[in-house]
Amino acid sequence: MNRNWLSRLCNNSKSRIGISIVSFFIIIAIIGPFFFPEPNAYVDAPLLEPSLEHIFGTTGQGQDVLAQTIAGSRSTLFIGLSAGMLVVFLGLLIGSIAGYFGGRADDLLSLLINVFLLMPGLPLMVIIAAWLPPGPYSILSVLVFTGWAWNARVLRSQVLSLRQRDYVFAAIINGESNMRVIIYEIWPKMISLITSSFIGATIYTIGAQVGLEFLGLGDVNKVTWGNNLYWATNDLALLTGSWWTYVPTGLCIALVSFGMTLINYGIDEISNPRLLSERLVKEKYPFIFNRNGSTPVVRTSPSE
Amino acid sequence: MNKVLEVKNLSVDFLMDSGSFKAVDHVSFDIHKNETFGLVGESGSGKSTIVKTILRILPAPGVITNGQILYNKDDILSMDESSMASLRWKSISIVKQKALNSLNPLLKIKNQIMDTIQSHISISKIDVMSRCNELMDMVGLDQSYLNSFPHELSGGMRQRVVIAIALALQPDLIIMDEPTTALDVVSEKEIILKILELKKKLGFSILFITHDLELILEFADRVGVMRYGKLVDVDSSKVIKSGGNHEYSKKLINSIPRLEAGKDTNKDVMFDPIITVTGLTKIFQKHSSLFSSKGEQVLNDISFDLNKNEIIGLVGESGSGKSTIAKILTKLLKYEGGRVEFNGVNLSDIKGKESLLKFRKTIQMVFQDPFASLNSIHTVYSILSRSILIHRSLSNLSKRERKKAIEKEMLSILSEVGLSPPETFIYKFPHEMSGGERQRISLARALIANPQVIIADEPTSMLDMSVRMDILDLFMKLKKDKKISIIFITHDIASACYISDRIIILKKGKIVDSGPSDEIINNPGHSYSKLLIDSCESGWYTKQ
Repeated sequence: MNRNWLSRLCNNSKSRIGISIVSFFIIIAIIGPFFFPEPNAYVDAPLLEPSLEHIFGTTGQGQDVLAQTIAGSRSTLFIGLSAGMLVVFLGLLIGSIAGYFGGRADDLLSLLINVFLLMPGLPLMVIIAAWLPPGPYSILSVLVFTGWAWNARVLRSQVLSLRQRDYVFAAIINGESNMRVIIYEIWPKMISLITSSFIGATIYTIGAQVGLEFLGLGDVNKVTWGNNLYWATNDLALLTGSWWTYVPTGLCIALVSFGMTLINYGIDEISNPRLLSERLVKEKYPFIFNRNGSTPVVRTSPSE
Repeated sequence: MNKVLEVKNLSVDFLMDSGSFKAVDHVSFDIHKNETFGLVGESGSGKSTIVKTILRILPAPGVITNGQILYNKDDILSMDESSMASLRWKSISIVKQKALNSLNPLLKIKNQIMDTIQSHISISKIDVMSRCNELMDMVGLDQSYLNSFPHELSGGMRQRVVIAIALALQPDLIIMDEPTTALDVVSEKEIILKILELKKKLGFSILFITHDLELILEFADRVGVMRYGKLVDVDSSKVIKSGGNHEYSKKLINSIPRLEAGKDTNKDVMFDPIITVTGLTKIFQKHSSLFSSKGEQVLNDISFDLNKNEIIGLVGESGSGKSTIAKILTKLLKYEGGRVEFNGVNLSDIKGKESLLKFRKTIQMVFQDPFASLNSIHTVYSILSRSILIHRSLSNLSKRERKKAIEKEMLSILSEVGLSPPETFIYKFPHEMSGGERQRISLARALIANPQVIIADEPTSMLDMSVRMDILDLFMKLKKDKKISIIFITHDIASACYISDRIIILKKGKIVDSGPSDEIINNPGHSYSKLLIDSCESGWYTKQ
């Protein structure tokens, strides 16, 4: 099941679309800013509608919206992806220790996880973000601090169940160290859960990051997708009806999340073989397949 | 004779990423009225697929590609959904292996039986209640259990409830898919006698699916033997018992362990205990929190010795605590009371990395399920090379020399456990090997440490019948060649007798009987051991 899961992922048409969308934005985030070195520069009159000269129009400050959207992708995606990764890694670390060692360690860590789960996330995020010096790394630490607990909980229960498997006992009896058992025997078995946790966490961190910056809690001089939205409201975009200042950014955020969700479909199919089996029958015999019906009869050769 | 079910040239395919896999290949058989037809096969032989196909409940990716299934001359394979729905349960019902999975844990027994009846026929409330009472009487359960929940009943009682539900609409054919595999031998016998008594009274037919040839030969009228999706042999029980018409049937018959003590027991046992267990007690915490804990006692005052070069059979049904003993002896579990001494050292005094590793070198374990004890993501090479790196000092060698040394060691250990040619196995993944081969890899991993003791926790119970004897013989050979002591844990007293020098019988965490194998068989000291031995002897059904 674990082998070839990347190629299995690419076989699924939904996740293939998702992978294309997400990689498109990642490529833009990497190379785009080189074409628009100064997105904050004053280029034309403010609030110009989209035209050939400025494809997405201009902002209330007379900046090019296209330049700002492309330049904003780098910081937003970088912080989003790294926060997603850190959140999952921290969750994996704490969840593994709690699930593997059990007993008192588990009691204490589970208590800690529960406390963090029960804390109201949004107000806490706002308070911490307001207290830290504004900037992308402050946002990153706020996201990790408030976001790890859910993943820790999910991954802990998976470790708890894998820990009781015979191959784990076999490795311990053979004399392997606990570290090695966790890293080489348990974690590889959790790859699909870890990946889907990462995708879920990244969707969350991108949304939360944009939200915090929209509230003005980031460094408002930096160009990010959240700040683009912040400046759009500041310049009364809604009142003046200048939709082009916020729609491109909003669309980009929605597309990235959409792409990530599509990738999750592929992961679902890898970790749930039943979905794969249903797809196989559906593709080969589209008119006969009925999910809740009797087993289909397809006579390939005349009965003898 | 009147035929209830006729299966003609049935083929079932499982679709795969590329191509398809033939799970059932042109199988034909028929079941007569009031007959018990047994279908025997190893895991993966396609017997359960046939059952699901008869009811057409085989899930994707299974598709039926050929043949006919006639129920009283009507073709099940050309029926539409509504006639299928009325056929299921009313004409053909099924009893599955795990009663706990067939019963809804949230509903009382009464409601589950009533639901089944009412969803098929319109019937008044009083009538349905009296039918429930009648059914409970039939399967030999007290009517008061109608108001119980499934978890309040024992495994055997639950299976009786499932049988009652299967009988509820008086079907002509009842399919029994390994109905007693999850039960201990004593309740297995009771349930089968009950089923046969009901069959005599009500006149239905039975399709009995099992992997246990010995069991089915006791009471089936005819038996079909399946292998790799094909029906290789069908004949009356009598003919099959005397060897059948196919080589494979003969092989299966010969692999049934007979209840007799091993040939050369006790000859080379040195009375010098390696492990001494005295008064061992274990309590499982049922519910624990920071502040309180409640427990259930699973081991109660267990005492025994394991001598050098000896095989001890630890026999007991599930829940008797035999696997818990294995986990305590390998330091996977802590224990509450008593003493476990290992070469004179108390087990709980072994602490620290060094002494723990030294301890690991002396005792190794082979697990029940060879699928679960080998991690599916590692190749044989990476599994065994870890063992070699841990237990051999190769750190002063260069990288190339080390690889050479590992490979040399690996090849010799693979041929020692009977895998030939060994070099073809090195880069295989667990799923590319058969159950017996996987179990040999497991054993190879244990042997690399050069242990004094191997604990084998039901090493043959998940294996196909035809390879069981080979593995048992391998254990005996290792004991002889390498002077290894073995604790052989099993629920099957016949295989314990075959391999062990001494037998210990456990029940509910207590030792009820122990002694040399031949002594236990010939005059068991406890009524429970007698019961176990009786239910193992062939001919128990005809004796009734």
